[in-house]
Amino acid sequence: MDALPATEIKALAKIIGELDYYQLLHLAPDASVSEVKYAFHTTSRNFHPDAVRHLEPDLHEAVEHIAKRVREAYSVLRDSRRRRAYDQNLAEGGGPRMQLAQATSQAERQATEELQGRTPQGRQYFHMATSALDSGDAQGAVRNLQTALTFEPDNEHFRDLLAKARAQA
Amino acid sequence: MAEIAIGIDLGTSNSCVAVAEDGTVEVLPNTYGEHTTASVVAFREDGSITVGNAAKANIIHEPMRTIHSSKRLIGRYFFSEEVKKSQAVYSYEIVEGENHGLRIKVSDELFSLPEVGAMILREMKSIAESRLGQPVEKAVITVPAYFNDNQRQATKDAGRIAGLEVLRILNEPTAAALAYGFGKGLNQRVAIWDLGGGTFDISILEIGDDVFEVLSTAGDTFLGGDDFDDRLIDLLADEFMSKEGLNLRNDPYALEKLKVAAEGAKKGLSVENEVEIRIPDVITGEDGTTHSIERTLTSDEYAVLVNDLIQRTFKVCDEALQQAGVVARDLDGVILVGGPTRLPIVRSSVREYFQQDTKADVDPDQVVAMGAAIHAASLVNPAQEAYLLDVTPLSLRIGVLGGLAEGVIERNTPVPIEQTRVFTTAVDQQESVEIRVYQGESQEASENELLGQFAFSEFDKGRRGEVEIDVTFEINTDGIVNVTARDRANGKQASTRIALSSGLSEGQIQHIIKEARTDRVETSAEQQGQVLGAIPLQSIPAPTQDLVEVEREPNEGAEQAESVELETLDDRDTDEMEILASDGSQVGADADASDLDKNTQYVETQSDFQLLSDGEELALAEESLLESDAPQTETFEQPGVDLAETAGDDPEEQS
Repeated sequence: MDALPATEIKALAKIIGELDYYQLLHLAPDASVSEVKYAFHTTSRNFHPDAVRHLEPDLHEAVEHIAKRVREAYSVLRDSRRRRAYDQNLAEGGGPRMQLAQATSQAERQATEELQGRTPQGRQYFHMATSALDSGDAQGAVRNLQTALTFEPDNEHFRDLLAKARAQA
Repeated sequence: MAEIAIGIDLGTSNSCVAVAEDGTVEVLPNTYGEHTTASVVAFREDGSITVGNAAKANIIHEPMRTIHSSKRLIGRYFFSEEVKKSQAVYSYEIVEGENHGLRIKVSDELFSLPEVGAMILREMKSIAESRLGQPVEKAVITVPAYFNDNQRQATKDAGRIAGLEVLRILNEPTAAALAYGFGKGLNQRVAIWDLGGGTFDISILEIGDDVFEVLSTAGDTFLGGDDFDDRLIDLLADEFMSKEGLNLRNDPYALEKLKVAAEGAKKGLSVENEVEIRIPDVITGEDGTTHSIERTLTSDEYAVLVNDLIQRTFKVCDEALQQAGVVARDLDGVILVGGPTRLPIVRSSVREYFQQDTKADVDPDQVVAMGAAIHAASLVNPAQEAYLLDVTPLSLRIGVLGGLAEGVIERNTPVPIEQTRVFTTAVDQQESVEIRVYQGESQEASENELLGQFAFSEFDKGRRGEVEIDVTFEINTDGIVNVTARDRANGKQASTRIALSSGLSEGQIQHIIKEARTDRVETSAEQQGQVLGAIPLQSIPAPTQDLVEVEREPNEGAEQAESVELETLDDRDTDEMEILASDGSQVGADADASDLDKNTQYVETQSDFQLLSDGEELALAEESLLESDAPQTETFEQPGVDLAETAGDDPEEQS
C-alpha cells in the first residue's frame, strides 16, 4: 500500500469521531452502493491492521481504531434502510456516529410507520382508502389516498397503493 | 532469512499444515509422506501419547483411550445437545468439568479439550519443524467460520498450550478463498461450500483483486462427514440386529470397527459406484462364536442414507445467499472444500443447487491449510499482499430485563468492529450490574450461547435510571469478543476478556503449560523410528506445491488392511492407482490412491481384537454407556438481569 505517514494516521484516529460516515469514506452524500463498496475496499487497503502489525503499538492501535469505524460506516451506508435512518439523523443534527443497532431499529420503525402512515391525518385517510378498496370503491380509494399523500408526500407505500387504485378505477 | 510462520488446518478428522515462501505454498507431509494427519490422540497404557494415523489405528484396539473428533467438543458446554449426541456415539468418556465445561477422562486422568487440541497442534508443529529444519513458533490456525467465541477462544488456547504464538484465528472458508484467488487478480463473487468431518460452512465472498471481502457466512457446527458415517453405522447395526439378534451398539469395539468401515465405504464411494464392506469378527457372541458383516453398498443406497443431511446444508446456503443479497446462479464460482465433497452425490447436489459446475482445480483437503499459510506469511512479512475483510458469523447480544437478549452487533457485520450501548440501573442505589453477553439469533436469552458474564460496580451509586453505563463490545479480527463497561460520570472502566463460563482461565492455561503433558506426545518421526527402524527424513521426498497445481503422491510403503477390508469392486491394483494419482487432474482418482492407502493405516494386527472377550473392559464400557443415558442437569442459572437500557441515547465518543 501507499503507506500514509504515521503522524497522519494517528491524527486521523484522534479526530475520527468528528467525521461523518461520508467524510470517513470520502464519499458524496448521493454515492451509489457500488461507490460505497469501492470506497470500503480502498480505505481498507490503506487502514488494515494486519499491514501495520509489525510497527509500533500505538500506530497499530490507531489503525485498528480507524478500521473499526470504517466498518461501522460501511455497515450503515451499504444498507439502504440504515442509510436513510442515518441521513435523517445527520440532518437533524444527531451527530456523525450512529450505532448499528440503533440505525436498524430506527429503519424498522420507519418502515412500519410508512405502512400505516406516520401522521394522524395520513393514517386516517389511508385507513379510509383501504376500507374503500375493500368495498370495491376504487374511486373513493384514489381520492382518499391523494389526500393522505398531501400529509405524507414521500410515503412510498401510499404511492404504490394509489397506483393500484387508479388501475382499478 | 524471512521469519517462518505456518498455516494449520485443525480439522475434525484430519489436520494439515502448510507454509508459504516466496510466493509458493507447500503442504508439508508427515513422516509417512501423507499430506494430512488424522486428528486423533491415543493415550497409551504406558503414559505415552500418540497423534495421527498411528493413533487412529488404535481406535479399534483401545476405543476408550483413543480420542477422535475432539473438535466437535471444543468450546462447548457439558449440557449442550452436541455433547449429548457425542456421548451417545463416542466410546471415550466425556465428563463434566468446572463451570459446565468438558473434560475427557482417560483412566484416572482428565484432559480439557484445548489440551487435546494442543496435542494435535504439537504434532503438526513438529511435522513442519522436521520438514523445514528449523523451529516454528508462529502459526495461523483455522476454525469453521460458524464457530462462536467460546470455540474460537478454546482453539486459540490450544495453540498456546502447544507452544505456538497464534497470529490469527482464521475462518476456514476465508482461507480457502485466499488460496483460490491469491495473486490472480480476480474480480469474482464466489461461494465456498465447506463440508468437513464435523462442521459445515458456507461463505459468500467478493474477490476484488487483492481484497477478499466476505459478504456473508452461515453454517452448522454439528454437521459433517461424521454424520454420514453415523448413518451407515446405524444401517449396518440395524441389519445386524435383525439378522443376528446382537446389538453392536453396546460394544465399543464393534462400534469402532463399524466406524472404520463406514468411513472406508464413504471414501470408496467417492471413486466407485459400489463398495464391498467386510468386517470379519465384528463381535463374539455369548456362545463364543464370532460373527461377521459382509455387504455390498451402492452409491444409490448411500445417497438415500445421507440425502437429508446434504439437503440440510442448502437451507444454510439459502440463508447465506439471502444475507449476501446474491442469487446462486449469479456466482462466478463455487469452490468445494472438505473430504466429503469428493462424494459424487455431494457434488451433484451442490451443482444442482447452485446451477453451475464447481471449481475443479482446488484440493478440498489441503486448500484451507494453504490459505492459512499464505495469510501467516503475510502477517510476518511486511509486504502486505492480500486484504481479508471478514465478518462475524453470529449476532452479539446483551442480556436485558425479562430474560431477553438484545442485539448489539448483527451477524455478518464486518470485523473488527466496536459498538457502545448505554445502560442504566433498575433500582435505586443499585451496587452493581451484571453484564451477560450472548451470541446467537434469538431474542430469548436462553436460546443463545452464553459467552460470559461479569459484574460491574465501578460506578457512582444513584437513583435508578440516573446512572449511565457505557458498555462497549468489540469483535476483533480473530472473531474474538471483548467487552468493557465504563461509568460515564466517573470514567472508571472495567475491562474484561469475557470470563468464559466453560473455558479455561488464564491460571488453568498456565497450569496446563507448566504440567507439560503435551510433552508426552511422541511425534510421528519418533514413532516411525520405533516401528520401522529409523528412516532418515531426507529419504522421503517433500513435494513442492504451488497454488494452482495440486499434485499428490500416493503413499509409500502402505500395507493392506487385514481386519477391516474395503475393496472397490473392480479391484484395481496399486500400479493403476499410482498412474491415476500422478495424473493429478482428476481429483477423484487422486482420492482413490491416497484414501485407500490411508485405509491400510487403520489396522495393524488382528490378534488385538481378542480384547473383546476381556470381561473387565466390556464392563467398563457398559458402565460409561449407562452413565451417558442418565438424565443430565441442564439448568443454567439465569438470575434476574439488572440491566435496563436508556432510550435511544447516543454514546459519547471515546476516541
